[in-house]
Amino acid sequence: MNDLAIELKGVSKRYPYFALDNIHLEVPRGQIMGLIGPNGAGKSTTIRILLGLVRQERGEVRVLGHRMPSEQVAAKWDIGFASDDMGLYEGMTLAWHMNFVRSIYPNWDAPYAQLLLKRFGLRAEQKIKGLSHGQRVKSTLLLVLARRPRLLVLDEPTTGLDPVARHEVLRELTAVMTDEGRSVLFSSHNTQDVEQISDRITFIDRGRIIDSLDKEAYLDRWRRLRLELLPGAVLPFLPGIIGIRQEGRLAVATANAFAADMANAYESAGVRVKSVEAMTLEEIFVANVERSREEVEV
Amino acid sequence: MNGSVIRTLILKDWQLHRRLIMMSMVGAVIALAILHSRNETAFMIGAVWYFVVLFVLASMLPISNVINERKKQTVVFLMSLPLSALQYGMAKMVSTIAIFLIPWAAMVVAGTTLVLGRHDIPNGIIPLMLVLFILPLIGFSIIAGAALISESEGWTVAVTIAGNSSYWLVWYFIMRNPAISGTLNSPVPVWNAQIMDVLGGEAAVIALILGLTFYLQSRKQEFI
Repeated sequence: MNDLAIELKGVSKRYPYFALDNIHLEVPRGQIMGLIGPNGAGKSTTIRILLGLVRQERGEVRVLGHRMPSEQVAAKWDIGFASDDMGLYEGMTLAWHMNFVRSIYPNWDAPYAQLLLKRFGLRAEQKIKGLSHGQRVKSTLLLVLARRPRLLVLDEPTTGLDPVARHEVLRELTAVMTDEGRSVLFSSHNTQDVEQISDRITFIDRGRIIDSLDKEAYLDRWRRLRLELLPGAVLPFLPGIIGIRQEGRLAVATANAFAADMANAYESAGVRVKSVEAMTLEEIFVANVERSREEVEV
Repeated sequence: MNGSVIRTLILKDWQLHRRLIMMSMVGAVIALAILHSRNETAFMIGAVWYFVVLFVLASMLPISNVINERKKQTVVFLMSLPLSALQYGMAKMVSTIAIFLIPWAAMVVAGTTLVLGRHDIPNGIIPLMLVLFILPLIGFSIIAGAALISESEGWTVAVTIAGNSSYWLVWYFIMRNPAISGTLNSPVPVWNAQIMDVLGGEAAVIALILGLTFYLQSRKQEFI
């Protein structure tokens, strides 16, 4: 048994208007991986392949040591999956859903389910059709979390939630993740949510993984440098700089491998470094996507 | 095989459709009450209503049990459970057929008992009744097969419309067969060769449709 909760090697899947291309993704056991991508980037397809719901055309998928999709039944006993488009039975109550899931999973933790009902402000006897979107999402998460799965796969779980509901959901997810044996794959296009809870972040765009690093590494390595060219100076090409926007004598350089000696290199080329700014994960994500798209177009 | 999860799914479908079954049974009881009338017109209205209840159930059940699960995305909830696409498909096929067969069988028994209990209705009508009772079962098999295989609301509705418009044509051809219609007034049921051929043909059509549905379901490897 290896120490990876999720392992995708060279996974490809082609649709008429979209292709997932040569995906390599690893989530170590006990880690929280954020999968960030714009709408239509391939997050849901990747997740559906790793759950065995869609069969990859090429490549190898292993989840909790099980080969997918052939061993999906064994793997899914230990996987909790929730997505923003997951529907529950409108005419039935939340209690009915809890009983239904409990009848399948012997690990169902009834006291924890009751605790989640309280924390999420849900009423078990309420029918699903009477719940708001936020309450439905929280109900789905309750049904997943009370199974005590070893791997949580959450596909855009916070989409469409108001700030209070989002905070409640993220707080509960953070609490769940204190269990070090549990691994999580959390997909979203909301970088704030992912930044809040993830150890490691993978960017995906147009069916390709464009970057995958520890969250801290992203935040440490990416910087925005505001530059001013002195008369006669030419912007030098520095390794680690992935993009430059220049207007007259002013320029903004984006570094994906910032090093302290970059400022010295610019200064010696006659370029004054006005400021070095840390970038938010959202800015890093957008810069990464833009760079990746430029590379593809070239 | 993942027996307990499949059983749980079948039981879940039964629970979700108890109301539809109850409504069908209420419709059938009202039709039976009308059928008890000695008035010929009322008897005909009751008989038509009785079959309409079966046709409606045969049309609604596959849409409610199969298509709505896709349309309302509850399949996403189910596919996260420990089962494969094949196991889900088989559970869905078994539950859909079983949920229809229970009220269908109850209505066949009730209808036959009514005829046997009424001295003014010749028992010679029973073979024809059986032939006609099997028609909604064929219609149901076709609609359920279309729903299970296509998983598409459009295709299922199209097949339902085509199936429901064909019933009366099939009735017409059956009633034109003198070997069947000629024995209706007999005091005892006449199981002649033509009746047995029609019943055998109906059974073969059902077996063919369900067999084909089972085969195509067993080849599905993906949930979505």
